Amino acid sequence: MIRNYIKIAFRNLRRNKLYSFINIGGLSLGLSACILIMFYVSHEYSYDKFHADSERIYQLEGKAEFGDQTIFMQNFSPVVAGDLVEKSPSVEAGLRINSEYKPVIVKTTEGTPQSYSESNFFYTDENFFNFFSFNLIQGNKEMVLKRPFSLVISEEISKKYFGKRDPIGQKLEIIKDSTYQFQITGVVENSPSNSSIKTEFITSIATMEKMKENERNFSSQIFQGGSFATFLKLDNIENVASVSETAQKLSKQASTQSKDEYLLAPLEDKHLKSKFDSGIKYLELFPLIALFILLLALINYMSLTTARSDSRAKEVAVRKVNGANRKNIALQFYAESALYVSISFIIAGILSYSLEKRFFNSLNIEIDGGFFFHPIFLIILGAIYVVSILLAGIYPSFVMSSFNPIENFRKKSQGKFGRNLIRKTCTTVQFTVAVVLIIGGIIIKQQMDYLKTLNTGLDRSEILILPLQKSMGNNSQAFRNEIEKNPGVENTAISNNQIYDGYDIFYASTEKTESLALPLMQVDNRFLNVLDVKWRFKPANEELITAGKKIIINETAIEKFKLSQDPRGEFIELAGSPQEIVGVVKDFNYASLENPIDALGLKVSKRDQFSGTGFLYIKYGNTENLQGLISSLADSYNKYDSETPFDYQFMDDKFNALFKSEERLSRMFSFFIILTIIIAGLGLLGLATFTAQRRVKEIGVRKVLGASVLEITTLLSKDFIKLTALAVLIASPVAWYLANKWLQDFAYQTEIEWQVFLLSGVFAVSLALVIVCFQAIKAAIANPVKNLRTE
Amino acid sequence: MLKLNHIYKWVKSGGRRIFLLNDLSLNVEQGEFLSIMGPSGSGKSTLLNVIAMLDDFDEGEYYFEDEAIHNLKSKKRTDIFNQNIGFIFQAYHLLDDLTVYENIETPLLYKKVKSSERKALVADILDRFNIVGKKDLFPHQLSGGQQQLVGIARALIIKPKLILADEPTGNLNSKQSDEIMQLFKELNQEGVTIIQASHSESNAAYGSRIINLLDGSVQKS
Repeated sequence: MIRNYIKIAFRNLRRNKLYSFINIGGLSLGLSACILIMFYVSHEYSYDKFHADSERIYQLEGKAEFGDQTIFMQNFSPVVAGDLVEKSPSVEAGLRINSEYKPVIVKTTEGTPQSYSESNFFYTDENFFNFFSFNLIQGNKEMVLKRPFSLVISEEISKKYFGKRDPIGQKLEIIKDSTYQFQITGVVENSPSNSSIKTEFITSIATMEKMKENERNFSSQIFQGGSFATFLKLDNIENVASVSETAQKLSKQASTQSKDEYLLAPLEDKHLKSKFDSGIKYLELFPLIALFILLLALINYMSLTTARSDSRAKEVAVRKVNGANRKNIALQFYAESALYVSISFIIAGILSYSLEKRFFNSLNIEIDGGFFFHPIFLIILGAIYVVSILLAGIYPSFVMSSFNPIENFRKKSQGKFGRNLIRKTCTTVQFTVAVVLIIGGIIIKQQMDYLKTLNTGLDRSEILILPLQKSMGNNSQAFRNEIEKNPGVENTAISNNQIYDGYDIFYASTEKTESLALPLMQVDNRFLNVLDVKWRFKPANEELITAGKKIIINETAIEKFKLSQDPRGEFIELAGSPQEIVGVVKDFNYASLENPIDALGLKVSKRDQFSGTGFLYIKYGNTENLQGLISSLADSYNKYDSETPFDYQFMDDKFNALFKSEERLSRMFSFFIILTIIIAGLGLLGLATFTAQRRVKEIGVRKVLGASVLEITTLLSKDFIKLTALAVLIASPVAWYLANKWLQDFAYQTEIEWQVFLLSGVFAVSLALVIVCFQAIKAAIANPVKNLRTE
Repeated sequence: MLKLNHIYKWVKSGGRRIFLLNDLSLNVEQGEFLSIMGPSGSGKSTLLNVIAMLDDFDEGEYYFEDEAIHNLKSKKRTDIFNQNIGFIFQAYHLLDDLTVYENIETPLLYKKVKSSERKALVADILDRFNIVGKKDLFPHQLSGGQQQLVGIARALIIKPKLILADEPTGNLNSKQSDEIMQLFKELNQEGVTIIQASHSESNAAYGSRIINLLDGSVQKS
């Protein structure tokens, strides 16, 4: 029976090539989009689940109160893990990890030494490879971290440093304040893309203790915050509460005044809850959009199948007279939709598998290709497949199976008002979604442009930022002097923290306020000049700025600390020492644009007095030979710092990186918009063709009676155009509402302009016009005699 | 075999009832070959549809082999129809996408007959109608007479007790039409009850009884 159904479906598919093409084309596109999006989303949700005991692994977190601020702690003192294993019977194992905060320099020892700056370098306990499920390719997991200065590297790193040579026993130098020699004892598999721990360089905590730079990490030997991420493996997940209670107790024992709160966060949630990766901000939105696109494609299928119901009605009637019941007919149309969905699914599978790399590259997302065959993802694929078949078949099989055979034989085409209405609704829904997406996409883009061109109170154009590492040592002045002589360089400035990347927080108070958080940056006296920050109240004397115990604040700080309108000469107490306010700068954005500008203090030192690490801002004027300038900067740099490789960033890029999630959303949206337009366009093409075919006789008669091509084209297209116009009307307020809601998240919002709605509307209507008119004109210019004869 | 008592069927049009069947009573015995004659619109097709239980009537009683059809639910009616009645159309109504073989096989599929048995039954009937050579052709590759042969073969494959034929030769020339009528006669002699609606006197003459229909009632003859 099923074979019979599929046979018929196949013959139908071959006979109606245009419909089959539209149906399968639209469904394939919709499914590909759906598959790719779900691929991304399920990858995000699969983080850290590959560990054998992932559901039993927790990371200790803490909350501490400092003045008016709550600090979240993820790192603890070195004794915390051991104390918990000892005192809490539910903790099977504990593990500490300390990651190098700044990149370390890794240098080869053989041949001509090569050095690279590496950012994934961490220290951990010996049981690391038992605790987590990272597989060692070479080395014994009990032994690899046993001896101090053993180093386990990943396959990729091994290839980078040793090529095809056997890395075991080879030596690498790690350069911090001093140089340490490490011996490779093991090679670990590259960590999968859905791992929040990146295994590149792993060494032991015993090694860490032997490195004098790390002494302060071990200074605290009581149960409190510190610098070690602490992972715990419990015997049973029901004991989470008891373990955190133990932690609470231990903290109280360590210090009776401690108000710190401790809790255990599941490892599996680590990635999604992380506040630092902004890429997952819109994660919940994506499956919804995937579903929408799939729905649009399915609507196409439904509306086209029912549009053809007239020609299938006879078949249904004959089958019913020959003994088919409703169930048989419904099943037949289900089989047919299953066939269409299956073919589309295979095409979509191939399409998304081959486009996956390119698609995710364009979105700056890294996912292992192998995840395509991950069980979780395969289950999702299966679900999409089944749901598509069920949805695609439901309406056609319902409509078709309800036909009464006699009525279908008797009347050639009857009042199909109901079905017509549904088709009209389908078209309207599709175009509504398309227009909402178009408007949304434009507004997202506008918001991005708005943010990027927003006056943030400083001029970040033509500025390169160059990190100065410790390895530069005392050479930084000399280096700076040299590059300032470079004709391409106009000016330079320095700050201790990179702008947009962080700042120090101090607790400050004035006479009128208690202790409040004051973000603070240490800069040199060129900083304001190079970044073109404007004065609100200029210091009386330039010399004052760099004198001791003086501070510059921004406008917001005046309000936050309840200072007088012109606070010059007033004092603000910083870490117990009063600082005189000598000037006020106008507000400028120094952190994320998501929040309004906070108060800021600037400690300014003289150009030659700024020492140590920091970030050098290089203002260049002549942009014609930027490559030349950069390579000459690199040359100078390498003269003064032979260890840390030259690295730079444009300040503009640094700023734009603040909108990583939005940028991704915007790119995804452009992709969705194109897809929706294609799918809706295909659907409309199908319906227009169908209408023109159905009315071929009417057109013939009208032409014989003297109707012009224009009149007939109008006759055929006006219904569709009305529907599209209706879609625009429905879509506009919906899009406005959604866009407005989305914009609420931003401290700085672009205006929603009415032109956007007009433009999107005009675009949608003209698109519909082109598609529909193409078919209508074709029907209108056909020779009427020929059409009438075929009847 | 079947008995219609005072059947009325009407449609409403502008508040007035237009009677399609008007106080129609009819008795058909097992083994009869009944021809229903009458002008267009006299209700021949409606009557056949009512007998086939494909269409409802508004008043009256209908017994099919002592089963009171007027009291049955539509599902049960469909079952009785599927078990006992083969229907033949003027316009053949073959499934365009299926071959001759598959067209004839379709009713067996819906009756859930086993594959081997299906093959045997279809082969038998192809043989009997001399269309074995055409079994892989599609309907549009056949002449009208051949298509109607396939239509009849399809109706017969479930071995119905009753065959209803609505102007089975209406689209055929006289030679083809005679062949079909001859076939009906043979079937009737084998014991199948046949009711046919027809315009043509000569075709009607093949029947063992003729009734005339006018405006939905049987004319006294």
